[in-house]
Amino acid sequence: MHAFHVLFLKELRSFFFSSTAYVVIALFTFLNGWLFVGMVRAMQTHASPGSLIHNLLGSGWFWMGYLVLFPLITMRLFAEERKMGTIEGLFTAPVRTSEVLLAKYAASIVAYAAILLPLFLFFLAFYLITGETGAFHSGAVIGSAVGLFLVGVFHLSIGIFASSLTANALVAAMMTFAMVMLHYFLGFLQNFGIIPDSMWAEFINYFSTVRHMEFLTEGLIDSRPVFYYISFSVVLLACTHHVLESRKWRS
Amino acid sequence: MIQAKSLTKRYSGRTAVDRISFEVEKGEIVGFLGPNGAGKSTTLRMLTCFLSASDGTATVAGFDIARDSLKVRQVIGYMPENVPLYPEMRVREYLRFRARLKGMRYRESISAVAEAMDTCSLQEVERKMIGTLSKGYRQRVGLADALVHKPELLILDEPTNGLDPSQIRQARDLVKELGEKHTILISTHILNEVEMTCNRVIIINQGKIKASDSPSNLIRRLHRPGQVNLEAIADSGGLEKLRTIPGVSEVTSSETDDGWTRFQLTSNAECDVREPVFALATECGWRVRQLEMRRPSLEDAFVDLLTNEQSETASAD
Repeated sequence: MHAFHVLFLKELRSFFFSSTAYVVIALFTFLNGWLFVGMVRAMQTHASPGSLIHNLLGSGWFWMGYLVLFPLITMRLFAEERKMGTIEGLFTAPVRTSEVLLAKYAASIVAYAAILLPLFLFFLAFYLITGETGAFHSGAVIGSAVGLFLVGVFHLSIGIFASSLTANALVAAMMTFAMVMLHYFLGFLQNFGIIPDSMWAEFINYFSTVRHMEFLTEGLIDSRPVFYYISFSVVLLACTHHVLESRKWRS
Repeated sequence: MIQAKSLTKRYSGRTAVDRISFEVEKGEIVGFLGPNGAGKSTTLRMLTCFLSASDGTATVAGFDIARDSLKVRQVIGYMPENVPLYPEMRVREYLRFRARLKGMRYRESISAVAEAMDTCSLQEVERKMIGTLSKGYRQRVGLADALVHKPELLILDEPTNGLDPSQIRQARDLVKELGEKHTILISTHILNEVEMTCNRVIIINQGKIKASDSPSNLIRRLHRPGQVNLEAIADSGGLEKLRTIPGVSEVTSSETDDGWTRFQLTSNAECDVREPVFALATECGWRVRQLEMRRPSLEDAFVDLLTNEQSETASAD
C-alpha cells in the first residue's frame, strides 16, 4: 500500500506539473464549449426529445475529441519508463508489480477526471445563468457521469496495456487510438447496414458504446454495461500485469 | 551476503550466464570483471530480481531471489548501467521519491536524502532538474539513489562508465569510503579501478567464471616472464654481454632519439636480473639512466585469461 501511495502521488505530479496537461485540458474544454453553445442554439430552434447532455454526449463531434484523450493520457505510462530505462530502477525497488500498475492506472483515472471536469461545469454555469434545469435533469447528469466514468476506465485500461507492450510512446498511442476507435465503431456497424438484423446484431449491440451511452445519458443505469466495462478493464489490467512480469523470463 | 549457486540465464539459442556460482562475504568489496557482453549485467539483474534465472538460484542476505524478492530488493541498493533517471524531476525531489518508494516514512526520508546528498556531494545541485545535469552529477545522483535507504549491499553496474579521469578518481575514493559501511559488488571493465578498490575480483567471460581471487593473487598466478628495461650508453658488444647473464632469455635493443640505447631483457619468471645487469654495467663502465622491472598488472592477468580462453576454444574447434 505504501508503494502504491508514493507512486500514485508521483504519477499525479508528473501529469499536473507538465504543460501538456493544461494544453490538453484547455483544448478539450474549448472544443466542448463550442459544441455546448452549438447544442444550446440548436435546441432553441428545433424540438428535441433528448436532454441537452444526452444530445451533447451523443454527438460525433464530442467523441472525436474524447477518443483522442486516451492515447494522450496513457501513452507514456510504461513506454517511457522502458525507453528511459527507469523501469529497471522501478522494479528493482522493493515494490510489487501490481502496486506499480494500479498506481499508474489510478493516477490516469484522476487525470482523465480532471480533463472532463470542465464539461460538467458548463452545465452548472448554464443552470446558474438561466435557472433552468429542464434541459438536463439530474438523472441524465448522474447517468452521464457514470457512463463517462465506465467508458473512460475501460479505455484507459486499453491505453495502459498498449503502453506496456512497447518502448515507443508513439506506437503505444497509435495502438490505443486504433483499439479505442475500433471498439467505438462496433456500435455503428448496424447503422451502416454492414451487419444484417440477426442475432449478430444483438451480439454486437452488447459491445456498443454508442448504445450504452444512449441509455446512460438519459439516466437509465443498466447493470450490463457496468459489468461489461469493469470486467473488461480487469482483464486488460491482468494482461498488462502479465506483460510487465514477462520481462523477467522473456528472451 | 550473496550466495549464487549455478545461476543460469538462457535467452533463445544463447546462454548469457552459464551455471555460475560465487559467494560474497559481508564487508567485502568485490569487483565483477569481464569484457562487454560477458554476462555481467545479466547476472546483476538476476541478483536484483529484475530478471529471473532460467536455472540455479541465489540468496542475498539469506533471502532467496525467486521466493523473497521483495526482501532481497529491500536489502540491495542497485545502480543500473547507464544510470536511468527521470529527467523532469529535481535532484532532491527524485531522491525523496526513491527513498519513500523503498519503504521510508516521510520524516525518515528527509534526513536520509540529506545524508545521501552529503555523501555524494550533491548539495549544490539539489534543486536542479536531473535532465540539465552533467554526466558526473547524474552518476552521483544514481549512487545517492542506490544508498539512500541504507542498504547492506550495494550493487553498482559500471559506475564509472563515461566519466572523465578526475571524476573516475573521485568515484573510486567514494566507493572505498562506502566499503567501510556496505558490502559492495561492483561491475566494471576498468581494471586499475578494481586493482585499487577491491578485495576480490571475479572474472567472467562468455557467461562463465574464469577466476575468483584477490587482485594480487591473480597477478602472482600469472607465469609471465620478467621484463627489465635498461637505458644506457653501452659499448658495441653490450647486447652480447647482456645475453650472457644467467636467467636472461632474450634481449632486444633500440636507439632512442637522444643517442641512448634502450635494452629490453626478458627473463624467467622467478629470477630478478636487475642486480646482475647493474653489476655488468658498472664493470664495463656504461652510463646508465634507467633500470626498471615491469611488473605485471591486473590488466595483464585479465588479458592473459581471455587470450588463453580464445586459444583454447580455437584449438578445440
